[in-house]
Amino acid sequence: MGLLALGTALDWPDAKTKAGQVRAWGIKQLLEIWNKAKGKERDAMLWGDEVEYLVVTYSKDDPKVLLSLRQADILAALASDKKLSTAGCNPVLPDGSQPLANDPPPVFHPEFGRFMLETTPGKPWGIEFKELLNVEPNMKLRRCIAKDHMLPNEFPITLTTFPRLGSPGVFTEPSYPVSGPKLRSQFVPDEIANPHIRFPTLAANIRSRRGRKVQVNVPVFRDENTPWPWKDPTVNYDLHQWPEDDDVRNGAAPDNFIHMDAMAFGMGSCCLQITFQAKNLNEGRQMYDQLSPLGPILLALTAATPIYKGFLADTDVRWNQISKAVDDRTPEELGEKPLKTSRWRIPKSRYASNSTYISEDSRLRPEYLDPNLVIDPEIKQQLLDGGMDDRLATHFAHLFIRDPIVIFNEDLEVLDLSKTDHFENIQSTNWQHMRFKPPPADNSIGWRVEFRPMEIQITDFENAAFSVFMVLITRAILSFDLNFYIPITRVDENMETAHKRDAVLNDKFWFRRNLFPAQRAARGGSGASSPAGSRTNSRPPSPIGPVEDEYRLMSVNEIINGTAYAGGSEGEDEFPGLIPLVESYLDSVNVDVTTRCQLATYLDLIRKRASGELWTAARWIRKVVAEHPEYKKDSVVSEEITKDLVGKVISIGEGGEAAKGVKGLEDLLGWFVR
Amino acid sequence: MDSLDHLKTWTAASAFGSSGQRAPLSACRSASQENGNIVSGGPSIIRKPGAYRSNLELTNSLRSNFVAAQEDYAAIAAADHNNNNHQTNGAANGAANGNGLHVDTERGGRPPAEVWTATEDGALFVPRIDWSQAGLQEEPAQYDITVKLFFLETEAVAKRAQHAKEALDLVLRELDAPAVDLLIVSFPGMSFEGDCEWEADRKNATQGNDEEELAAWAAIEQLHLAGLAKKIGLAEFGTEKLDRFLKKVQVRPAVNQINIKNCCNVPPPLLKLAKEQSIELLAHSDCLDILPKGTLRELLGPGLGGAGILADPEKGTGGLQGDLAPQWVVKYTAVVRDRGVIENKGYFAGAELVEEA
Repeated sequence: MGLLALGTALDWPDAKTKAGQVRAWGIKQLLEIWNKAKGKERDAMLWGDEVEYLVVTYSKDDPKVLLSLRQADILAALASDKKLSTAGCNPVLPDGSQPLANDPPPVFHPEFGRFMLETTPGKPWGIEFKELLNVEPNMKLRRCIAKDHMLPNEFPITLTTFPRLGSPGVFTEPSYPVSGPKLRSQFVPDEIANPHIRFPTLAANIRSRRGRKVQVNVPVFRDENTPWPWKDPTVNYDLHQWPEDDDVRNGAAPDNFIHMDAMAFGMGSCCLQITFQAKNLNEGRQMYDQLSPLGPILLALTAATPIYKGFLADTDVRWNQISKAVDDRTPEELGEKPLKTSRWRIPKSRYASNSTYISEDSRLRPEYLDPNLVIDPEIKQQLLDGGMDDRLATHFAHLFIRDPIVIFNEDLEVLDLSKTDHFENIQSTNWQHMRFKPPPADNSIGWRVEFRPMEIQITDFENAAFSVFMVLITRAILSFDLNFYIPITRVDENMETAHKRDAVLNDKFWFRRNLFPAQRAARGGSGASSPAGSRTNSRPPSPIGPVEDEYRLMSVNEIINGTAYAGGSEGEDEFPGLIPLVESYLDSVNVDVTTRCQLATYLDLIRKRASGELWTAARWIRKVVAEHPEYKKDSVVSEEITKDLVGKVISIGEGGEAAKGVKGLEDLLGWFVR
Repeated sequence: MDSLDHLKTWTAASAFGSSGQRAPLSACRSASQENGNIVSGGPSIIRKPGAYRSNLELTNSLRSNFVAAQEDYAAIAAADHNNNNHQTNGAANGAANGNGLHVDTERGGRPPAEVWTATEDGALFVPRIDWSQAGLQEEPAQYDITVKLFFLETEAVAKRAQHAKEALDLVLRELDAPAVDLLIVSFPGMSFEGDCEWEADRKNATQGNDEEELAAWAAIEQLHLAGLAKKIGLAEFGTEKLDRFLKKVQVRPAVNQINIKNCCNVPPPLLKLAKEQSIELLAHSDCLDILPKGTLRELLGPGLGGAGILADPEKGTGGLQGDLAPQWVVKYTAVVRDRGVIENKGYFAGAELVEEA
C-alpha cells in the first residue's frame, strides 16, 4: 500500500464528480516525471522484497485460533522502539559475528487488513552475490522483531489467507458484529479493515461505484461427502439491514461456490512482491515485458491458498479472489447492461493480469498485443503531445480508464507538480501482476518494475528462495537477451490455468519455445575496414513465421527445469529451462563457493517444487486437512482443524527444532528443513 | 589458398580469435544432461543429438563465429566484386534458424580463407577481427572484467610468459580496456575431483608441477605489477599445493577458483587456509579439458563442419599444411558493475602450426 495521506475522503457520489480532475492532474504529474526522468541513466540494480504477515492469536490450551486486530498497537510498539536493529533477534554466526548488526532496521507498514503487517528491509538490496545471502536472515530478523512486539500469544504467520476468515462465529480478537455501514458484509465486520480512512473508503467506494457488494465466489472442492449441489451453508438470505443484503437473494451466491462479499476476502491476502530498479527507462520496460509471461508460472509454483471461509476451495491460489474483491466495475462496464453512463466496457477488474506490453523492443511483434485493449484516447493524445512514445502512452492510457476511488478533498485545491499523488492514485489502484513505476517526483530513485503474482510461503527460507530466484532470472534475461514474448492474451489464459488445483503437477502453460535471439547480434557493422554495403546488410532478415509457431504448451517442470530434466513431451523441441539458464548465468560471473552453495540450495528448492518432488503449500495444506481426524471429507475446515494447521504453520515458520517436529513437513520442504 | 602460403612460416604467435558480443551460455554441464545443447544461444546451437562435448561453449562459439564470418565476408566480397560467384547459398538462412553448420564443402560454398581471415604480425586471425568494433558499451571503469587463461598441455612451458602477455593483450584490445580486474591462470593436469572433499584435496596435492607453475606465476605477477591486471588468481589449488605456493610467490593470489561437483563440499582445511590468507574461493564450472586434442583440427579442417583453413591431404584441397598444436585459451567476461549484467563474454585460443617434415 502506498503512502497514507490524511484528509477528508470523499464518498463515492462526490468522488465521482472529481474523477476527471484527478485523472487530468495525474496525467500532468506523470508528464512532469516523464520529462524529468526519461533520460535517467545508469541506476544501480537495487531491489527490495515485501513480506506480509497475518497476525494470529494462538495458544496450545485455547481451542480457537483467531485473527488479532491489534495491527495499530503492534505498529505503535514497533515505531516506538528505536533500537530494532539491536534487538535480540539479530542472528549470531558461530564465529560470533552479527552480519545484520549494521543494517538499518527493517520497516513495518500497515496493510488493508487490520490483522496484517507488511515488512520490508531497511534498505534496498544490491546485486553483490554475497548480499543475496542476507535476504533470508533479514526476513527471519523481521519475523522475530515483529513477534517481539506482539503479545505472547500473538504470532506473525505467512499464510496467504486465514482459513476461517468470514466463518460464522468468532474469528477475530476482539470480535465485532458483522454488517457494518462501510463493508455491509454479512460475513466480516467493518473493523476487519485498517481503520485509517483510506481503507474503509476504498472498500465503501468500490461497493458504491459497483452498485452492489463485491462478489467473491470460489468453486468449492468436492470431496466424498460434500453435498452436491453444494449450497454455501453460511450465507444468510434473511438479512435486511442494508440494500446490498438483497444481493444474495438476487443470485450473488450460486450453487457449488463459496460465497464472499467484501474486499477483506481479497485484500486480506498476503503475498511476496519483488521490486527491481532498472538502469534506465528502456531496461525497465524490457524487464516489465519479459517478466510478464513468468507471472502465471510463479503464481502456480507458489500456490498456497486452498481454503476460504472454512471450506476447501477447488482452486489453489489467491489471485482471482482479490480480483473480484476489488472489482468496482459497473453493470455497464461489465457488459451486463447497455452502455449509457459508463464510458466503455472493461473486460478485467482493476486487479488482474497485465493487459499490454510496454517495451519498444524490436522483438515485440504487433501480434503479441491485445487488439481489444481499452484505452482512453484523449489521455493517450495528451501523453503523446507531452512527448511520450506511443507504446508507453498506450499503457498509461489503459491504466487511466479507471476512476480514482479514494479522493481527499484537500488535494483538489492546487495542482502540485512537485508531487505525484494524483498519478499514484490511479497507478496504485491498478493492481496488475506487474507494475511499472516511474521515479518519484524528486527523481531520487530510478525506474522500477514490481513483480506481484507470487504467493507468500510459510517459511522465510522459501520466501528468500523465490525472491533470489527472481533476482537471478532478471540478470539472466538481461545478460542473455532472453525473449519470453507470447501474445499477452495467452498470459491471461495462463493466469487462469495457474488457479487449478495442483496446476504445477497437472497443467500446461503457454510458453515461448525459443528464448534466444533468432540471429546473433551483428558482429560487424560498417567498420573502417569494411567496404560500402556493410556486413550488417549482408544477410537477409530472418524469416518470421506465424506467431502461433513461436510458443507451445509446457508444464511448469519443463519451463523451470527444462525438457532434459522434465523428460519433455513426445515430438516437441527442447527447452532449456529457467533454472539451467540461471545456472549458466552464475557460471559466467564470479561467485564465491559459499554463496554459490547457498544459491544452489535455493535453486534446488524451486527445482523440486516445479518437478513435484516437493509440494506446494496449497497441496501440503490440503493434506493436513485431509488427514485431520476431525475432517469429515465434506470440504469443511473446522475451527479445530484450523487451529492445528495454524499451529503447524507457526512451528514451521519458527524453524529449527520446532519445525522438525511437524509431521508431514518433508513433503513441503524435504531435507531443507532448518 | 595461394595467398596464404607465406604463412607457412607461422610462428608461435599464431592466434585465432573468437569473440561474442552477447554472452554465450555456459558449457560444462554434467554429461548426463542433454541440455549441453543449450550452450551459446542463437545460431550456434547444435540440434544434432549426441553432439555433446564437455567444452561445447568454447567449440560452439568458435564454430559459429567461423561460419558467421565466412558468410559475412563472403557477402562483402561478393558485393565488392559485383560478382555472385562467392555467395554462400542458403548458409545465411541456415544460421538464422539454428543450424549453423550448413557450409557445404562439396559444392564449394565456402569463401576463400583470405576473405575472412587476416594476418597481423605474423599471426593468422581466424576469423579476422574488425578492431574498429572493439570495446564495451560504457567506459571500462563500469565493468568487472575477469580473464581466465588456460595454459594447455601441448604448450611449451617456456612460452607461458610470452603467451600470457599475448593473450591478455588480445583481450584488452578486444574490450578496449586499459586493464582487467581479475586475471586467473589455470594450469594443465590439475583438478579437484574425488569421492569426497578430503580425497579431492589429497589428490590435488600431487598434481601439476610446482616449479613450472611458479615460473609462470612470475610472469603473471609482472602483468599485475605493470597495472594490466588489478588482481591475479589461481585455479584448482588444493590446501597443500596452495600452502606451498604461497610461500614462494612475490605477489599472492587474491583468488583461488575451484571446480567441484558439489560446491557445498569445499574441504574445510582449504576454507580455513583461504580465510587466513584472505584468498577468495570462487566457484567455477569450466572444463578441465577446455580444448581437447583434435578439436581445433576438426574446427579448422576441411571436413563437414570444419572451416576449411587446413588442407585435406587425401582430397588434395588447398590450405595450411602441418599439425596444429593448441597453446592456450583465454576466456573473458565483462560484467556491468552494480547491475550484475554480463555484457560481453568471449574466448580467444592460440595455436601453433607445426610444419610437417
